[in-house]
Amino acid sequence: MSGEKNVKTTASVRDLTVKQGFKLSKFLVSWEMVLVYILILINIVLMIAKTNLYFSHGTIQAIIQSGMDVCPLVLGMIFILMLGDIDVSIASTMIFASMITGLCYQSGIPTVIAVLAGVLSGALCGAFNGFFVAYIGMPAVIVTIATSMLFRGIVKIVLDVNVLKEFPVFYTTVAWANLAMIPLALIIFLVMAAVFVFVLHKSNFGRKLYIIGNNPVCAEYSGINVKRIKMIVFVLMGVMCGVASIFFVGRMGGSVSSTMGTGYEMTAIAICVLGGVSTNGGKGKVYGPVIATLIMAFLTYTLGLLDVDANTRKIVTGMILIIAVLIPNINRQLVANIKLKVVYKGNKNVEALNNRTVNEVKRLKETILEVKRDKNLNASDKAMKIKKCEDKIVVLKKKCKEQTAVWLLEQKEDERSAKARFNSK
Amino acid sequence: MSDYILELKDVVKTFGGVTALDGVHFQLKKGEIHALMGENGAGKSTFIKVITGVHQPDSGMMLLEGEKITLRSTDDSAKLGIAAIYQHVTAFPDLSVTENIFMGQEIKNKLGMYNWKLMTKRAKELIEPLSKNIDVNKPMGILSVAQQQLVEIAKALSRDARILIMDEPTASLSRRECEELYRITEHLREEGVSIIFITHKFEDMYRLATRVTVFRDSQYIGCWDVDKISNQKLITAMVGRELTQMYPAKTADIGDVILKVNSISKEGYFKNVSFDVRKGEILALTGLVGAGRTEVCQNIFGIMTPDEGSIELEGKEVKINSPIDALKYGIGLLPEDRQTQGLINELPIYQNVSSADMKKFIKNGKIDVSKEEQTAIELCQKIQLKAKDISAPPSSLSGGNQQKVVFAKLLNCKLKVLILDEPTKGIDVGAKYSIYEIMNELTANGYAIIMVSSEMPEVLGMADRIVVMRNGRVAGQFDAKGITQEKILAASLKQDEGEER
Amino acid sequence: MNSNGKKKSFVSKMAESRNFGLVFSLVVLLIIAAIITPSLFSLGSIISMLQNNAVYGLLAIGEMFVILTAGIDISIGAILSLSGVICCRLMAENPTVPAIVWVLLSLVVGALCGAVNGVLVGYFKMVPMIATLGTMYAFRGISFLFSGGQWWFPHQFTEGYLKFATLRILGAPAILWIVIAVFILAILFLGYTPKGRRIYAIGTNRESSQIAGIKEGRVVFLAMTLCGMLAGLAGMLYTANYATCSYSIGESYEMTAIAICILGGVSISGGKGKVDGVIIGFLMMSVITYFISLLPGLSVWSDAIQGAIIIAAVALNVYMERSAEKRALKERGDLI
Repeated sequence: MSGEKNVKTTASVRDLTVKQGFKLSKFLVSWEMVLVYILILINIVLMIAKTNLYFSHGTIQAIIQSGMDVCPLVLGMIFILMLGDIDVSIASTMIFASMITGLCYQSGIPTVIAVLAGVLSGALCGAFNGFFVAYIGMPAVIVTIATSMLFRGIVKIVLDVNVLKEFPVFYTTVAWANLAMIPLALIIFLVMAAVFVFVLHKSNFGRKLYIIGNNPVCAEYSGINVKRIKMIVFVLMGVMCGVASIFFVGRMGGSVSSTMGTGYEMTAIAICVLGGVSTNGGKGKVYGPVIATLIMAFLTYTLGLLDVDANTRKIVTGMILIIAVLIPNINRQLVANIKLKVVYKGNKNVEALNNRTVNEVKRLKETILEVKRDKNLNASDKAMKIKKCEDKIVVLKKKCKEQTAVWLLEQKEDERSAKARFNSK
Repeated sequence: MSDYILELKDVVKTFGGVTALDGVHFQLKKGEIHALMGENGAGKSTFIKVITGVHQPDSGMMLLEGEKITLRSTDDSAKLGIAAIYQHVTAFPDLSVTENIFMGQEIKNKLGMYNWKLMTKRAKELIEPLSKNIDVNKPMGILSVAQQQLVEIAKALSRDARILIMDEPTASLSRRECEELYRITEHLREEGVSIIFITHKFEDMYRLATRVTVFRDSQYIGCWDVDKISNQKLITAMVGRELTQMYPAKTADIGDVILKVNSISKEGYFKNVSFDVRKGEILALTGLVGAGRTEVCQNIFGIMTPDEGSIELEGKEVKINSPIDALKYGIGLLPEDRQTQGLINELPIYQNVSSADMKKFIKNGKIDVSKEEQTAIELCQKIQLKAKDISAPPSSLSGGNQQKVVFAKLLNCKLKVLILDEPTKGIDVGAKYSIYEIMNELTANGYAIIMVSSEMPEVLGMADRIVVMRNGRVAGQFDAKGITQEKILAASLKQDEGEER
Repeated sequence: MNSNGKKKSFVSKMAESRNFGLVFSLVVLLIIAAIITPSLFSLGSIISMLQNNAVYGLLAIGEMFVILTAGIDISIGAILSLSGVICCRLMAENPTVPAIVWVLLSLVVGALCGAVNGVLVGYFKMVPMIATLGTMYAFRGISFLFSGGQWWFPHQFTEGYLKFATLRILGAPAILWIVIAVFILAILFLGYTPKGRRIYAIGTNRESSQIAGIKEGRVVFLAMTLCGMLAGLAGMLYTANYATCSYSIGESYEMTAIAICILGGVSISGGKGKVDGVIIGFLMMSVITYFISLLPGLSVWSDAIQGAIIIAAVALNVYMERSAEKRALKERGDLI
């Protein structure tokens, strides 16, 4: 024990460097890359199943365009989830913003101002949420459930059963036009995503989001204005809802009614979760959801082409959401639990021993690698040291096995004696 | 049959890389009160959790009346008659006293429903001998800490506990409540319950225990009869060395007053607290846990704002409404709980270090990561952080090195006053020494340090001046020269008239 | 000690005053409603008001179980739809089967759906919001598949089936009696059974529960299964009450159920809330919705009003918790 401590002391300070460089092997199995593989897989399936259609003019563009109306919501939602909050009022906010723009435009207000008014109203809705969540300290789920009813309720009061049909022309252009074969919506999406990447991964605002998401108490102790940042993020979400209204109304061919767009909040959340953003906050990147947005577009379109109707797609979305969240859970807790029950027969002593041995072996293997890399040692020394470590590993493994057997036997014995005692009573 | 009702041999328990119990022995005689002593982080809490089956030991043996037992959960230990009363009372504040007693082993009638009548009756029977003032139908939350402890004792008794473990039960009790607890504990012993009494206070030990076992640094040091061991010897056993050796020599020159606290009060926490701290000085803020020390620090740092009183920095009154203000004025806080308040365990070390002041790394609107890392490396080298990789998360470090990361985070800001809340809590001895060195170096560089600490030797060894708090008020200020442990203890325990209700 | 005793009774009075406030505002609401629309104040209209809102009572009780464990279930609207569709379709195809079978079936369907949620949240430790969000999609989708997009109209319903909601017993429809029975069972379950009390226990303090040997996952599973079961029953009764059914019934009913719970003083952070509070919340919500439906042109306001009520109720909750905290601090401050 004490010897180990000394070794650590000598190897201390000099080593303090940045070692986490770029590793191709790690990069290739990262969640974002997995998403890319899934995207490619879907494309291949589509290519094979509907070869003619896939290669015909405009199909791919149409597919991408079909998924773009939700993209601004996804970007905003990344930040909200990053904080560990949630916003289910975004669809209502989006419709609210659409209505404001539509009403302004209808009454002859200049296009620019009408659009700005829509975005601004979205921001106001976001600020309303943010005020209650950040400054009053109410749970975000409840606040946004309520405001989703409230905002849509207001739209219902104003529009009743009417449909707004007058919208700026460029709305449909944004949603449906292509620029040099590339959908305009995709270009705008990628530009917006680039801004979000910069903010989240490069600026100190993004860093603060990570800090708050991981440990809000520590964030406060570190002199970060948690309340204000929450407020900003919710307002930003509102602004993105306003922007989303442009895409959405455009896709709907320039009309809006009070019942449109239900379920968009769920889709946005599902995409974020699929993209690797944790709903507990503090984990995830912008890239993931961006790719996941495309996956979702291709998936819905593919299912549609394969004669699967809209409601089945709903099931699929739900399943994807659950599975995407479950995967990390399954990785850790569940495997450990199952292992404990099945392999170690519920004996935590055995589990602890085995885990310890595994760690020890891992450490020894690392030492071997280090020795191999060490240039100061000559070949025979190296061989000797490696041999020593390898021997140690063998001994450790053997010991562990023996002890496990002994313990499991003891446990059986214990159980039997306990049973006997119980029966005698 | 064995002499001992409970015996532990060579128990080892590790968490990750940290050894919490290292070959510990323990022997409990039938019907005795056995004191278990040791400094914070000596492994006492883990020890209890092993006995009650919360944790499973990596190796070692546990014998109950000479018979080998394996505990796989708290259920197992409860069935065997082992019960524990934890340091932080673990109750359901919204549920009634009766329910708290019977939670997990409810009395049911034929329909599988609660038998409220019988349960209330049993609860009354259990509580009555302990205290006459507890209404078993009232929610647990409105009882005082002492009363809640009695309920916990009743709960243990309801399970026919033969072995009762009490984890620092007197830590936040008034003297009168302590006396009451002593009486009850002795009564239990007469009933034949064997008791493990964990405590920091010598008084508890002398008053109750017949034998005492000492742990230090996760190891078993020894077991003595209480009447055969001197106070001095016991302290040496607990601390492990002469006190002077533990602490590096001070080199700082003490300058002018830098921070002055003028009779600040906060409803429910403390009243009329005043003190000042000078450049290059270490001011210790001590007293029992719950005396309001941490809250005073939080008020200076802006986590809370005081209701009354003022804070002066270098002669000018400052208004600190949030940690943002505090950091701006040059006041930093090393929080008590580094896991939840000091560290972001998921982010790399260098991001932790920069988190309190990121502005200086911003170039063209984005964070200059290489500069950030460079600064972090420099700071970490300065405080001799033992880590392999600056981009590893702090969770991979030992307790002492985690604390150093929080230090580095504070040093990254331009500070004048450092408030350290229990800076060596849960840190092994070697790392403690280097933290003390850091503190001395900081004072030598002109920092003023306010150190909150419950560890008397640390207070005596490090501080220049000592402020003792008791029940939300300043109970005394002392110069560190010539002060004794007894004087401080007396000040922190003394009862004033108002409290004798 | 004496002064302490007085304070305690004051505190408990404050705690009880919440229900008092609710009842008071309920009475005020009723009076206003009676003045504006006198037709409200006949026994018949009150009963029909309650009958139309009865399913909310069932959903709210179920939702309450889940919220008490510090969770949330937003899939109950979808469960209601799924159970309704399954019962209706099978009933229409097999009109000779006695109707009690469909009641039992609805309970089973609901319990199964709830169990799925329970496994995800209780055993896989998923965030309740996200898990039930996913299953909400899934259940609603399955409901559509099973219905094949079809609607069922009154002439397709068997008489026995409808009777479960509409049969008059002592002047009140059966559905109301069922709701009352559920209320009573819930009071017994939450107040007098170990399982019920454990729901409160894990809502207040998970760590203590662990030490007390309570299996958290199992309790959460139970709460969510019961919630699903009640939602399933609500689905069958809904279709029997209105004698219509399609896959789209019960959309956003979960929001109303949550709103009722919050109105009734169930704390969203778990562990706090009583059945009687939820009953009062249910009555209030019924009056409000009925009131709105009576006034011409007001029906479009219902969503907005509900949303506003939830926000106000939660804000009130937060405020009351804060002031209770402040009071506790003050009491402690007096001892310093």
